[in-house]
Amino acid sequence: MSAAFDHLKSETPAPVLSTGEAGDFFTLLKPRVMFLVVITAFVGALVAPGQAHPVLLAASILAVAVGAGASGCLNMWYDADIDAVMTRTAKRPIPAGRILPGEALAFGLALSVGSVLVLGLIANWQSAAFLAFTIFFYAVVYSMWLKRSTPQNIVIGGAAGAFPPMIGEMIVTGQFGMASFVLFAIIFLWTPPHFWALALVKSADYGRAGIPMMPNVAGPAATRRQIMAYTLVMAPVAVLPALMGFGGAIYGAVSVVTGLGMIVLSWRVLTITEGEPAVKASQALFGFSILYLFLLFIVLMAEHGLGLMVALPKVL
Amino acid sequence: MAESKAPPPAAFSAEDLARRRRRSVALGLLLTGLVVFFYVITIFKTGPAILSRPL
Repeated sequence: MSAAFDHLKSETPAPVLSTGEAGDFFTLLKPRVMFLVVITAFVGALVAPGQAHPVLLAASILAVAVGAGASGCLNMWYDADIDAVMTRTAKRPIPAGRILPGEALAFGLALSVGSVLVLGLIANWQSAAFLAFTIFFYAVVYSMWLKRSTPQNIVIGGAAGAFPPMIGEMIVTGQFGMASFVLFAIIFLWTPPHFWALALVKSADYGRAGIPMMPNVAGPAATRRQIMAYTLVMAPVAVLPALMGFGGAIYGAVSVVTGLGMIVLSWRVLTITEGEPAVKASQALFGFSILYLFLLFIVLMAEHGLGLMVALPKVL
Repeated sequence: MAESKAPPPAAFSAEDLARRRRRSVALGLLLTGLVVFFYVITIFKTGPAILSRPL
C-alpha cells in the first residue's frame, strides 16, 4: 500500500456495522399486520364469484403479504426518528440501531417491487397494480404525508389496511365487486375506534413525537365521541355480509354479538373519562377490537373454506 | 505485499462476524426457498401444458 491510503488508517471513523439478523428484518415487515393481511385477503378471495387454483391462490396471498410487509418496512424506515422517542416503538430494529436506515430502505423497496412482479406473474396485473397502489398509499400517502400533518391520518390511511380483501377478490376475478367492498368498509370503519382507543392511552407518547393524533389535536372528549360514532356505523355494516348472502348464520350471530360488544366498550370509553378506569376502558376497547375483526374474518373463512355456511334469507 | 497480513478492522469483533455469518446463511436459505417457490409455481401455472413441447 502506498502513502496515498495512509489517511484511511486514523482519520476515517470505524465503519458503521449493521448488527441486524434475520429476525430483525422479519420484524421490519410488521408480522402481525402481515398475518391480518393474509386472513383478510384470503377471505376476499373466498367470497369472490369464482375459483382459483389453491396453490396459485396461496402463492398470490403470500405475495400480497410480502407486499404488505414491504410497506411496513418502508414505514419503519421513514418513521425511525419518531419511533425512537415513543416507548411503544423505541425498540424497533432501526431506532435500536440494529439495522441501518439504508438497509431497511433497500429491503423495503426490493420486496415492494418483487411482490408486485410476482403477483402479476402468478395471478393477474390488475391485482398487482392494486397491490402497488396499496404499498404506495401506506408508505407515501399515509407515512410520509398524512401521519405527521392531520388528525385524520389513520382515518384516510386506514384505507391501505382495508384494501387486501379487494386485492383478494381481484386475484380470483380480475376485478372487485360488492362483497369485497363491504369487507373493505368494515376494516376502514374499524380502524378509527381501534387506533384512537390506543391513542387515548398513548397521547403523551404521540405528543412527544409530534404526531397530530386525534386526542392531541381535538382533545380526549372529541375523540371519545368520534370513537362512539364510528363504532355505531361500523357495527351494522359488519352485519351486511350476512344480509347480502356471503356470510352465513354463524357469521350473522357472531357479527351481531361482537358488534354489540364493540358498542358497549365504546360507550364505556365515552362515559368513563377519568383516572385508571378510563385507561382500562380504552385498553379493553383496543384489545377487543383486534379480537372482533379477527373473529369476523375467521368465521367468514370457516364458512366458505370448511363448508360451514348455513345461508340466511338474502335481504340485500 | 506485507499489508495483506494486517488484521481486519477492529470494528469487526468475533461476535459481529458470527452475526453476519448467520445473516448470510439466512439469506442463502431465503434465496434457495425462492428458487423452489418459482419452480413449483411455474409447474402449477403452466399445468399439463408443461409436458407439451415440440421435440
